[in-house]
Amino acid sequence: MISLHGLSKRYGDKTVVSDLSLSIRPGAVTGFLGPNGAGKSTTMRMIVGLDRPSSGSVDIDGVPYSRLTEPLRKIGALLDARAVHPGRSGHAHLVALARSNGIPRRRVAEVLETVGLGAAARKRAGALSLGMSQRLGIAAALLGDPEVLMFDEPVNGLDTDGVRWVRGLMRGLADEGRTVFVSSHLMSEMQLTADHLVVIGKGRLIMDAPLAEVIARSSLTAVVARTPHADDLARRLSAAGMDVERLGENELVATGAAIERVGDIAHEAGIRLHELRTREASLEQAYQELTEGSVEFGAGVAA
Amino acid sequence: MNPRLLARTFGSEWAKLWSVRSTWWCLAAATVLTVLSALTLAGATAADITNGRRPAVPFEVSESVVSATIFVQFALTALAMLAVTSEYSSGLIRGTLQATPVRGRVLAAKALVLVPVMFVAGVLAGALAAVVNYAALSIDVFGGYATLTLGETLADLASSGVFYALIALLTIGLGAAMRSAAGTLTAVFMLVMGLPLTLAMSGSAAALEISMRMPMFAGLAFMRSTDNLTGGLIPYSALEGLAWLVGWAAAALVAGYVVLRRRDA
Repeated sequence: MISLHGLSKRYGDKTVVSDLSLSIRPGAVTGFLGPNGAGKSTTMRMIVGLDRPSSGSVDIDGVPYSRLTEPLRKIGALLDARAVHPGRSGHAHLVALARSNGIPRRRVAEVLETVGLGAAARKRAGALSLGMSQRLGIAAALLGDPEVLMFDEPVNGLDTDGVRWVRGLMRGLADEGRTVFVSSHLMSEMQLTADHLVVIGKGRLIMDAPLAEVIARSSLTAVVARTPHADDLARRLSAAGMDVERLGENELVATGAAIERVGDIAHEAGIRLHELRTREASLEQAYQELTEGSVEFGAGVAA
Repeated sequence: MNPRLLARTFGSEWAKLWSVRSTWWCLAAATVLTVLSALTLAGATAADITNGRRPAVPFEVSESVVSATIFVQFALTALAMLAVTSEYSSGLIRGTLQATPVRGRVLAAKALVLVPVMFVAGVLAGALAAVVNYAALSIDVFGGYATLTLGETLADLASSGVFYALIALLTIGLGAAMRSAAGTLTAVFMLVMGLPLTLAMSGSAAALEISMRMPMFAGLAFMRSTDNLTGGLIPYSALEGLAWLVGWAAAALVAGYVVLRRRDA
């Protein structure tokens, strides 16, 4: 588990990360979303002790990163796939990393197998494609068989097979009970991978909730009803505090309540329904709404 | 500092050093440079004797190995510099510090790797140069003044090895402080050569005194160089030269450590 306590980062008078407090739990894939410049990478760098917080703190299972004696065995992170000496082979790169944390050499061959790098691991890292570099970075993160994994934009540069492979890998790691924290700007990808979402904007926490809840709470997730008594139903739903929009003479869309509530209200009023269904927002839509500063969710909604 | 953890970081840095081609290039360049510049310098001495521009007394061929350090140090400085600055230019430093969050340990491990490598490289290249010199200059044409005394030669080789090791420490300290190759190279060059030469040529006695305490002249004093840019022995003891060199290296390491500790990676 990664715990952030009032984590802040300022450069001069510019606040990049502002008072983030949250926990990233084991056994789930937690997606980390936010527009460019929202502070995602800075937050990740602070988690692994590369950037010093201006205030607040981070710990991994209660231990600050700098106190970990074998950090790679506790938390593996892929921050920048290109951060490898271009003249050193991927294999040699991993051997050097393994030595620093007392990780047995055979583990290098294992992780190279896992990420499917094979013979390319003997090539100079500078000659690898971005997709191959990404795999090497993931291999480095897996090297110490850590309980906590953190990936910054792991599918960048990967082809569709690679993207599917990363999705499966993350799911597998979470199912083994590990903590998986992954940032991405690809909403469709996150919708398929993440169980839980942390959304930040301008360095502040916007949302920390299960994926299903984020989508359910979007104003674009709505209940569509078709009825010959649309006027009557619209009035009653509005009276119950929902936002109602007429789609046509016999159709309306209500937001702000679950489908059961709409059905119950119609039943109590004896209104005949010809159709009642949920129209789910995509994560993309829900996210857009959140980061545009939608007041409906407010800031700092706890899970 | 936990010795077991330091040994691991040392192992990691050792593996890094030998897994890039630039290490081998720098060592090859340093060896070639040592042999060629020592041969040129000793050859000039032998020719001067033959031409009567120099008293006809025997001279040690290893003296030229010591004089050659002025040139060779830059090939070895490049090696030491790359061990630090390539981490920043590639971004690898983030991986390194994730693996070893105790930053002082990373700097200590780099120092511990480079000191023996520099010493051995300097001694071996110098030994090769001394042998080549002796073979080339002890022939009759030059009157047989070139000599190779084991004790003198070993002392010259050892002191040049120590000089290279200390210059490497100075370089990694400045490298950690500057982070970029361009900045480090400029700083090392200014400190080792640019500033002392400028000061020495300024004509001011005080400036000359200061320049004599800067790394290059301190190194020449430590190595008991008699044939160098100053035209003779540096006017203080070898031990004092060593003390100044160690002082410069220590100051650079402290500066590097402070920056490494304080700044975000």
